[in-house]
Amino acid sequence: MKKISSNKLIWLITVITAIAFLSCKKLTENPSAVIVSSQFYKTQSDAASAVNAAYSSLNSDPAGDFPLYGRQLNLLVENGSDNQVYSPSNTNPDVRALGTATYITSNSRVQKVWQQLYYGINRANIAIDNIPAIQMDTTLRARLVRESKFIRALLYFDLVRLYGAVPLILHNPTSIDVNALLVPRTSVDSVYAQIVTDLKDATNLPKSFSGTDLGRATGGAAHTLLAKVYLTRQDWPDALTQLNIVINGGYGYALFSNYYDAFQKATKNGKEHIFSAQFETNLGAVNSSQVLSQSFTSFNTAIFPADVPADSSVYKLFNATDTRRAVTFYSSVYNAATGQTVVFNNAYTPYFNKFVDYSLTPLTTQAQSGVNYPILRYADVLLMYAEAQNEINGAPTSDAYTAINQVRSRANVPNLTAGLNQSAFRDSVFLERRKEFIQEGHRWFDLVRQGGTVLVDALHKIPAKSAASAKNTLFPIPLVEIQLNPKLTQNPGYN
Amino acid sequence: MQIYIHDKQSPFVLRLLLSLFLLIIAYKASAQTDQAIINSRLDGIVTDSLTKQPIAGVTLRIKSVTHSVSTGSDGRFTFVTGQKFPYTLVVSYIGYKTKEVVADGSPIAIQLAENTSQLTEVVVVGYGTQKKSDLTGAISSVPKNLLSQPASSFDNLLQGAVPGVAVTQNSGQPGGTATIRVRGGNSISFGNSPLYVIDGFIIYNDNSYSNVGSNGTSVNALSTINPNDIESIEVLKDASATAIYGSHGANGVVIITTKRGKKGTSNVNFSSYYGTQKVAKKLDLLNASQWESLVNDINTSDGVAQTFTSAQIAAAGVGSNWQDAALRNAPILNDELTISGGDEKSRYLISGDYYNQQGTILNTGFKRYSARVNYEKNISERFKISTNVFGSQSIENKLYGSPYNSINFSNAYATLLTTSPLALIKNSDGSYNTTNPYLSTPTNPLQDITATTNTTKLNRVLGNVAGEYKIVPDLTLKISAGTDILNTAQNYYAPSFTGSPAGSSTGYAATGYASIGAGNVLSWLNENTLTYDHNFNDTHFLNILAGYSTQYTQFNSSVASAQKFPNDLTTYNNLSYAGVANLPTSTATSQALDSYLGRVNYSYLHKYNVTVSIRADGSSKLGANNKWGYFPSAGFSWNLDKENFFKSFEGAINSMKLRLTAGQTGNSEVPPYSSLSALAPTNYYFGSKLVTGIAPLQLPNPDLKWETTTQYDGGFDLGLFDSRITLTFDAYYKKTTNLLLNVPLPLYTGYASELENVGSVENKGIELGINTDNIKSDDFKWKTNVQFTINRNKILNLGPGVTSYFPLAPTGQVSPVIVKVGLPVGSFWGYSTNGLLTTNDLTNGTPLLAGVPQKVGDTHYVDYNHDGQVTTADKHNLGSAQPKFTGSITNTFTYKHFDLSVFFQGSYGSKIFNLLQQTLERPTLSLNASATLLNRYSASNPNGTVARATNSPVPQVTDRYIENGSYLKLKNASLGYNFDPVVASKIHAKQIRLYVSAQNLFTITKYTGLDPEVNFYDNDNTKQGIDYGTYPPVRTFLAGVNVTF
Repeated sequence: MKKISSNKLIWLITVITAIAFLSCKKLTENPSAVIVSSQFYKTQSDAASAVNAAYSSLNSDPAGDFPLYGRQLNLLVENGSDNQVYSPSNTNPDVRALGTATYITSNSRVQKVWQQLYYGINRANIAIDNIPAIQMDTTLRARLVRESKFIRALLYFDLVRLYGAVPLILHNPTSIDVNALLVPRTSVDSVYAQIVTDLKDATNLPKSFSGTDLGRATGGAAHTLLAKVYLTRQDWPDALTQLNIVINGGYGYALFSNYYDAFQKATKNGKEHIFSAQFETNLGAVNSSQVLSQSFTSFNTAIFPADVPADSSVYKLFNATDTRRAVTFYSSVYNAATGQTVVFNNAYTPYFNKFVDYSLTPLTTQAQSGVNYPILRYADVLLMYAEAQNEINGAPTSDAYTAINQVRSRANVPNLTAGLNQSAFRDSVFLERRKEFIQEGHRWFDLVRQGGTVLVDALHKIPAKSAASAKNTLFPIPLVEIQLNPKLTQNPGYN
Repeated sequence: MQIYIHDKQSPFVLRLLLSLFLLIIAYKASAQTDQAIINSRLDGIVTDSLTKQPIAGVTLRIKSVTHSVSTGSDGRFTFVTGQKFPYTLVVSYIGYKTKEVVADGSPIAIQLAENTSQLTEVVVVGYGTQKKSDLTGAISSVPKNLLSQPASSFDNLLQGAVPGVAVTQNSGQPGGTATIRVRGGNSISFGNSPLYVIDGFIIYNDNSYSNVGSNGTSVNALSTINPNDIESIEVLKDASATAIYGSHGANGVVIITTKRGKKGTSNVNFSSYYGTQKVAKKLDLLNASQWESLVNDINTSDGVAQTFTSAQIAAAGVGSNWQDAALRNAPILNDELTISGGDEKSRYLISGDYYNQQGTILNTGFKRYSARVNYEKNISERFKISTNVFGSQSIENKLYGSPYNSINFSNAYATLLTTSPLALIKNSDGSYNTTNPYLSTPTNPLQDITATTNTTKLNRVLGNVAGEYKIVPDLTLKISAGTDILNTAQNYYAPSFTGSPAGSSTGYAATGYASIGAGNVLSWLNENTLTYDHNFNDTHFLNILAGYSTQYTQFNSSVASAQKFPNDLTTYNNLSYAGVANLPTSTATSQALDSYLGRVNYSYLHKYNVTVSIRADGSSKLGANNKWGYFPSAGFSWNLDKENFFKSFEGAINSMKLRLTAGQTGNSEVPPYSSLSALAPTNYYFGSKLVTGIAPLQLPNPDLKWETTTQYDGGFDLGLFDSRITLTFDAYYKKTTNLLLNVPLPLYTGYASELENVGSVENKGIELGINTDNIKSDDFKWKTNVQFTINRNKILNLGPGVTSYFPLAPTGQVSPVIVKVGLPVGSFWGYSTNGLLTTNDLTNGTPLLAGVPQKVGDTHYVDYNHDGQVTTADKHNLGSAQPKFTGSITNTFTYKHFDLSVFFQGSYGSKIFNLLQQTLERPTLSLNASATLLNRYSASNPNGTVARATNSPVPQVTDRYIENGSYLKLKNASLGYNFDPVVASKIHAKQIRLYVSAQNLFTITKYTGLDPEVNFYDNDNTKQGIDYGTYPPVRTFLAGVNVTF
């Protein structure tokens, strides 16, 4: 072998070392199209974006599934009640199981709702923890934190009512070690205590917003939700205190003269709307569709909407004069393209109508619905007021009658029979609530909070729901959570 | 005619002068026949014994004399010498067996046979070549005759080509993707595709780069490469071979070498083929009157009045056949021109190719224009430069449809299949009928297919330059730099009169919908290696490689769309005409890989061989604490035939080699930024105005590290009866640990999962390759090549607390697959059934499906766990998409000028989830259905075997739709004729070959769907073997010509 001459060797070493050091630091990732958390939560605009994210948990799913409000929650509280069942076009067996009270712990929709509620809670937690440290307008800073607390309270309120005692998580995790993340369920009382604390702070929010802030949580929304929390806890005096603030506190809430306007794109965020999940006709832009609008999908009478009334008894609840009937159901739709009215007449009609957006052209693009989903509306306040008055005084007061009759007269229904006893008046209020709020995510909650066998009795009146039993007053803790976390116990009847 | 002097070192000018001088002498010699020193003149030609092609550059030497000549580019030679006839000529050429012939003065035709002896055969390995005899690793080469099959993309050519490589054509879409697994899938979540190395340039094929999200299914990025340019494909399988590519070698490495010019030749080659493609199988659907009966039966089960009277049913007849209306016989053609050649100092090859394959569904197809320049030059004795540059444009017209976005149907074609046969296709005036009472919008799916534009254009430039410098004779420095640029342009336009095949934002509903997407990938690679190669006294052979490699890849893409166009004139070309602009999206990522590599090959007398290698890889995509991974390997091989004791076997066994290897390879194919605490945008509305929210996407994991595969391989190579039978056998065991897996987190944390390194998967298997020369006479030859592979895949561990999970199912579907410890990845999970419920079953209290009212004639679900009810707990393992074994057999016959090749390929023991059939067997009042429903249970057909017609029952995953996916296919049969060189020379051609070929001629299978080779979810590891109505398979007949001048 020949000897390598020294100058060649030097040349060689130079080339190799030069190349080897070309790439210093190249392996550190500096993403240009992704924001990482260490870069964020620095400015006023970051603070606003973090709170927007908490709001968006109401109308969209991170994995592209259907939204919490406007779809998923309804699968539990409407489909799980005596109001609604699935049609042949709804082929998801988990949805069908919710409609027939045969759901089990692995039900994907029960899991999805749990997950979506905690998604929103986590976003609110992050906003609440990070915003106070941001250098910004102090009024706005306080407001944004309070809005986040309202969202957190709203979502925990859904959680505790659906699942009972749940883990109370108030901060973003700091570890990815699963063992460090295993916590037991927090008692129902402690969860409610946190909800009340958050909502009390949120009552300091502005009374109203306007312009491009319309739709944010207001002080009135916080009082209303707080009233609802007390009512659910059967803390009637505190509920009444909050309701009085909402009604007389100068918030300007009132019923629309026309029931129809509560579900119109043109009248969204109106005087009757205290807090709504916001949806918008946005064509091909990131669409968080309000799926309930897809009660109308086609002029083809052989194609069914996914959800249909539990049976004909639901439609028959309404008097012919009740203006809510034609707003809640449809059995014919005018087809502008053909100039003909298509009549739907089969075992599942009439179909639900409330959220169909008739402002769309063509009408079949309901995925573009711009109708909001009302979470808190003034009719609810009036009916809660009537209920609380009746419970506190042992019998309905004239104020209680006034409140319920406001709702009835707007619907073109005669005043409620005078002189009812407490129990009869209570039943009337719950019947009124049922008719007023079909598809608005109240019914299962209203049945359960009456206690006893009210839910089961109601479900047993629907042939498809004969499998219902006492365990159905809570939904199961999702199976995956129990499997992962031995500290979690299952709700009664689901093991 | 040219005469070469047997002296490679002489400069060109000198050689030229010498040649002239010799010519003059030869001329003078022929003129002055009495010249004493010229005693003989011999003319002749040397050809390849198999291909009959002339061979240039063959050395002819008179035995025991130094005087020699070489053949010219036409294979001819003239030997003018002082020797007297007869004398013995020694004819030798690299890669061919040396032959001795006795020359008696008459013109002579010499046939050389290719040398298949391991001693001289050289194999391309990572970062170099190696003598086959010295190899320790498991490396298979794709047989030459399979490389010459017509194909749109080279990955199609790997099917059945080498043992251990499983290829599934995902659909019949021209230019569509294939799923390729080398020795099974190692990873559950990320990256199971092999690494491709094209002329030294590393490509990790990521089809997402070619699909930027503008309304399309994946385009096969590999289809941008012209398969006709490929000279050889080697597949590296075991750790000893792949560990030098440590970083992404875990899934095997496919090394592709393109054709290049040969010394002393000058060739112009023109090849062309033209053919036609027919749909191999159609779906059997209900006709109009049959469909009306079905609707009536659904009405009966719903308890409502029947829609059609018996008179209407009788009058309906066959109705519209939508399926036939959308299909056609489609042409396929390819034209290629290659110019190549070389002299003592340089070699070149220039090729241009045009490929055009129309689809059997209207308005679909694939076209490619490509060009290549390969050039090599020896600047000096020590310094060599080379460059390979390739450019292509591929244009694919696709069906509309993104698999994950639809609830029931994958694309416009599926919509068309299920359109009621009662609806007319065209009006009496020839226009499309758009009044269809069974579709929700005034539309016609055939019109949608023909009028919608859905085009993906891929422009690719792949080029590299390399310089090799011999510092001293045994020490070579090689520096190469290359770049791979892939530009994607996707255009979509649904005119205002088209309906929406998959839902919302298209055509009619949007009054014109346009979407354009652009993607751009730039990858550059720099590799620097130093190779020391020395032979110590012909006893110790040492080869040491050390190197540094760095690769950087940048990707960016954007999609913009708009709708509500005033008319359809500008289609997707000018979005500013639109009334509504949608929110555009864009992204950009970059990733880097740094590597140091080293390898030592040592051979003692070519008898004992050892390979030791190590590669250190740093990947930008992994966590800050664990960027680097170290991947060692060791291999040993022993050529027993070199031992003295082996002499007793000679005659029967002429070569035998044992191989043993072990090593580790890695996988980091996660998306960039996977270890960071990334935030994602979301949207909300205030005051009806869109606002952006920034929400957490994932928690950070700075410990994210390499997924590591440890592999052990033992094998042997045998040559029997003078290598007329050669056999390669391998057995392997692979265990992949530290899987890159999305570990479930408690959902109450606000996160569903975190990417961590947990769990393990094993693959073990056996591979066998046999080549035989069955008949080897002068006129007739018969060769057989058999490939056989067994691979068993099993999940060993999914991390603490997790024994199984269901991969995300498409919206509206029940997940048919499960990932479960103890089962292969992607096993099917569902109910067993036991025919239909009978009256007896119901009176006996047979357990029924919970929550669903069931009657006689409904599916009888089996209470698998015997708990007295049928719930989801009764679902169980229904088999897996992974075959028990795969294999192929190729027979090649040569008779005089004819050659015939027949290639069978098969797979046994896999299951397919026939989701399309499940969908088509679900009766509804609006969609057409499968003809199997004719045998449904009803009052008039109490012996029916298909469940009674009810309105849209839940499509449960049952064993009825988990079908046997075994098949045997006649993949390719081709018959060729090679003209005699004498005949060819009349048109100044060196070689002319004509052939006819048929692909996919028949398939033997029990699978009831269109094609058992189907994979709807592409490269999603956990959802293999699902048939959801993909592009129909085709049968191709073609004829071609290949001329070399």
